[in-house]
Amino acid sequence: MHKTFLSACLAGTILAGLAAGAAAQQLVTTDRVGSPDAPNVLTMRANPNQSPNNPSPEQKAAFEKVWQAFAEAHPDWQIQFEFFGQDIGSEHARLLEQARAGRAPDCVTVDSFQLALFIKNGALKPLDDFFSQEEIDDLFPFIRDGITGSDGHIYAWWWGTDLRVLYRNTEIVADAPETWEELQNAALEAAESGVEGVLFNGGRWEGTTFDWLANFWAQGGQLVDEDGKPIFGEGENREKMLRAIDYFKGLVDSGAAPQRVATIKDYNDFNAAAIAGSAAMFFGGHWQYFQLQEAMPEEAFAKWDVSELPGPTADERATGTGGWTIAAFSDDAEKIEMCANVMREVYMGPANEVIGDLPTRESLFASLPKFQDPYFDKLKDYLVNGRARPGVPIYPEISNQIQIMMGEVLSGTKEPEAALDGAWNRVMDAYAKM
Amino acid sequence: MSQDAAVGAASRTGSRHKKAWHLAERPLVWLAPLTLLLFVTYVYPAIDVIRYSFTDATLLNPEYAYTTDSFKAVIRSPDLPGILWVTFAFVVASVILQLVLGLLVAMALHRGVRRRLPGVSVVRIIILSAWIVPGVAAGIVWQLMFNEASYGFLNAVLRGAGLSPVAWLSDPNIALWSAVIANVWRGTAFSMLLLYAGLVVIPSSLYEAASVDGATALKQFWYITLPQLRPILLINTVLISIFTLNTFDLILPLTGGGPGRATEVLALYTYNTVFRNFDLSNGAVLAVVLLLISIVFTLIYVRLLPREL
Repeated sequence: MHKTFLSACLAGTILAGLAAGAAAQQLVTTDRVGSPDAPNVLTMRANPNQSPNNPSPEQKAAFEKVWQAFAEAHPDWQIQFEFFGQDIGSEHARLLEQARAGRAPDCVTVDSFQLALFIKNGALKPLDDFFSQEEIDDLFPFIRDGITGSDGHIYAWWWGTDLRVLYRNTEIVADAPETWEELQNAALEAAESGVEGVLFNGGRWEGTTFDWLANFWAQGGQLVDEDGKPIFGEGENREKMLRAIDYFKGLVDSGAAPQRVATIKDYNDFNAAAIAGSAAMFFGGHWQYFQLQEAMPEEAFAKWDVSELPGPTADERATGTGGWTIAAFSDDAEKIEMCANVMREVYMGPANEVIGDLPTRESLFASLPKFQDPYFDKLKDYLVNGRARPGVPIYPEISNQIQIMMGEVLSGTKEPEAALDGAWNRVMDAYAKM
Repeated sequence: MSQDAAVGAASRTGSRHKKAWHLAERPLVWLAPLTLLLFVTYVYPAIDVIRYSFTDATLLNPEYAYTTDSFKAVIRSPDLPGILWVTFAFVVASVILQLVLGLLVAMALHRGVRRRLPGVSVVRIIILSAWIVPGVAAGIVWQLMFNEASYGFLNAVLRGAGLSPVAWLSDPNIALWSAVIANVWRGTAFSMLLLYAGLVVIPSSLYEAASVDGATALKQFWYITLPQLRPILLINTVLISIFTLNTFDLILPLTGGGPGRATEVLALYTYNTVFRNFDLSNGAVLAVVLLLISIVFTLIYVRLLPREL
């Protein structure tokens, strides 16, 4: 009995020792990459899904392999992660305050449309030395413009982009609508059969502005001039704005879209409607294709197809392109270099394959195995009409006012002209103070 | 115990008494840590907010000048009257409903305890659990409940009962009341807790005497319960008014302030002004307005305390 007890204690001690050893050797945890004993520390803030803390088990497992390779290649470094919360706008505002006070993390994933704030405030370090001219020239033009400061230096690496597309249940809407009119007719016909014709973001969040702006851009509309001054409420741009507002208002007023679109502020609502079979079409992000594929039975998913967002005419098309960048906030040359290594070795390619965000370099789009698929071929064609949000400090307020304007119009509180005038006046008041 | 040890112990006790005596004589000494803590965590930030309200500071520009223009801009803002009205309606409706429902639940629980009904503790825990749910989580839960899609919970219930679905969040005239419902769901437990404490200390002899005199239940409630609860009711009103006035964590995930500005209360407007518009000085002015309203409520609270308790 005594021997048995001693043997059990010994076995337990050995197992505990092995487990402790394994934990000590673990190079990738949810908030650390590299050995905890590594002498050099790089602090990094990221969205959870762009880190080893990715909530999807499949992506997390794939990402861990990428980070493991990175940790093994840089044994003297450990990366300590912090994570952004849900409210990206306020998270970036806080980050700017931290950068001013010299307390920002060394390396941060920054939302592409917020990048200009940090460049213009001198919070970022130039990265020209870490990327070849060939790599920079290989970027899609709107990507290159987005990361280049007014002094010609590049201040971040925009590694992944996305775009908005029209999803449709082909059993209800067989042919892809190419124009606004075709979309409304198809949605009305679908609504008559008892489903919601078309869904889109209309609540108070960035997605509402961004998804809808494609309709303004498709007409050639400009939000700001070359100096970053808002011009969307004047002259031809005002007319184009009104046409784009009338388009969405017409969808709701005619019953092609339900009134509840004024409350939608999450792309997951579209997934839920598609899975429930309660909607015929929706304007969504390209990444939802994989979410639906994962969540729906094969035969149900086979009914869904993706096409380019309709335009006022079939020849006038645009789609909003977003995505994420990585920027170096540190003053330490070694940390800046390590941040650039993270950009190159983890995000430039490997992260695209893990997360599904589209590569921003044409050669990577053409060579990475994941993107050699008919679905991505289609997206690459749509990217030709891709438009990024202007990288100007006034954009967040323009977006805020467009969200309010859309809510007022879609809920019938205000007519489009009055709502647009309200948004324009408030944006100009804010611009005057900048 | 040896004599020396006894003397030593007495000496230590004497020393402690001496120290205690000194501390009692010098309240500043023992109040200092708390005062410092309050200054650092409350007073200093409040002073800084007031200072920023007299500037033209933005989050985009580290340089700023001192001016009263931000006050003028906020006062002249065409959005302010609507925001104040939405805030007023949200606070008044929430406070009234939290008081009434809190009182009803507290009375039901009190009666349950007195009759030793089984499950009273479980009911109390369930109600309190709504109070400990963070505002953001409550907002998300209610967003799912109010979802106007065919699979939205409340509309599914209405459809099941043969009733028409309601545009809970998309109709600007209903959205505010939906926000009130969510806030009342969260806040009623706090009211219940305070009022239950008040009910417990009402002497049962008062009710017994009233019963002997033939007073109905309604009369007992009107002439005994309500007057006895008056101080608790007043303090409860003031506290939940302050809590509701500062609510924005629940509304942000629920409606984001929309549609349009239909549910944008003053606290959310302040948050949006600073973190969406990067306008630190205007946001500071709005924060000062919130602070002033809260101070008024607090003064009422302080005035009520010594008199009524």
